[in-house]
Amino acid sequence: MSNSGSKPDADQEWEALLQQLRKQHRAQPRPFFYARVQARLTAQQPPRGWWLPDWARRPAYVALLGMLILAVSGDGAALRPAMATNQPASSSPH
Amino acid sequence: MAYSLSLPLCFEPVHTVDLGTVGADAELVMQLQQGSEIAFRTLVERYQQRVYSTAFSLLRSAEEAEDVAQEVFVEVYQTVDRFRNETTLSTWLYRLATSRALQHRRRAAAKKRFAYFTSLLGLRNQVLHEPPDHVHPLALLEGSQQLQLLLSHIGRLPSQQQVAFTLRHEQELSYEEIAAVLDTTVSAVESLLFRARHTLRQHLKGSFRHV
Repeated sequence: MSNSGSKPDADQEWEALLQQLRKQHRAQPRPFFYARVQARLTAQQPPRGWWLPDWARRPAYVALLGMLILAVSGDGAALRPAMATNQPASSSPH
Repeated sequence: MAYSLSLPLCFEPVHTVDLGTVGADAELVMQLQQGSEIAFRTLVERYQQRVYSTAFSLLRSAEEAEDVAQEVFVEVYQTVDRFRNETTLSTWLYRLATSRALQHRRRAAAKKRFAYFTSLLGLRNQVLHEPPDHVHPLALLEGSQQLQLLLSHIGRLPSQQQVAFTLRHEQELSYEEIAAVLDTTVSAVESLLFRARHTLRQHLKGSFRHV
């Protein structure tokens, strides 16, 4: 059974524990922390062409984009030579 | 090697807002925004201990705390242009440190869950090792072991309570400063701290000699 004096003792123990928490060895980074931050910054520097979105730096996407532009460019100029070779000779006006 | 000697290191706990420090920080931010590398070095050396120890308090891993601290300073360097002096520099840094540490912990927990799941499915032939716990309950009664018990229970508190408790009792920030870091009110901080202390005392009740 707890007596009336036990609560302050528990409070004191709690306070002592918090003191211990405050006084514990403060964690510190290893020496040359700034050098490591610098190295990380340098590693994260964007390479040349950084102004392009990520997808635009992949050749496959660039090729696909080029084909899309050709396909929707309107007059079908890119497809015309191929169509012309497939036309029968009789269709030409003589 | 002028690295650690040229600048004063601020290891003193911050109880009140020091106008001198705020003024010096505002000047530092201005120089940083102008792209001064010396200012960046000064910033890192002035705040590295506080940022690192905050991250360490939340993660309890030197490696992860180092990673988070580096991440914080890189982010400061990259986004200082957007800093508008609405908060103090130290508040911004504590905010970044706590949010990045919690983010780190969430990612690590998700990775651990995924690894456990794949191990159950037998997708990988690796054994998952939990950190061994050799501490006998009866040995957790005194001194540093009681502190270890406290630390382990702090780690299980809800995130906001854990951050508030850590900033108060390890970083020794004032209630106002904690409220600024958490972007909340002082009464909300009081409530978070009350609940955190209550939960911790409940868990530690058994280890106190006087209950």
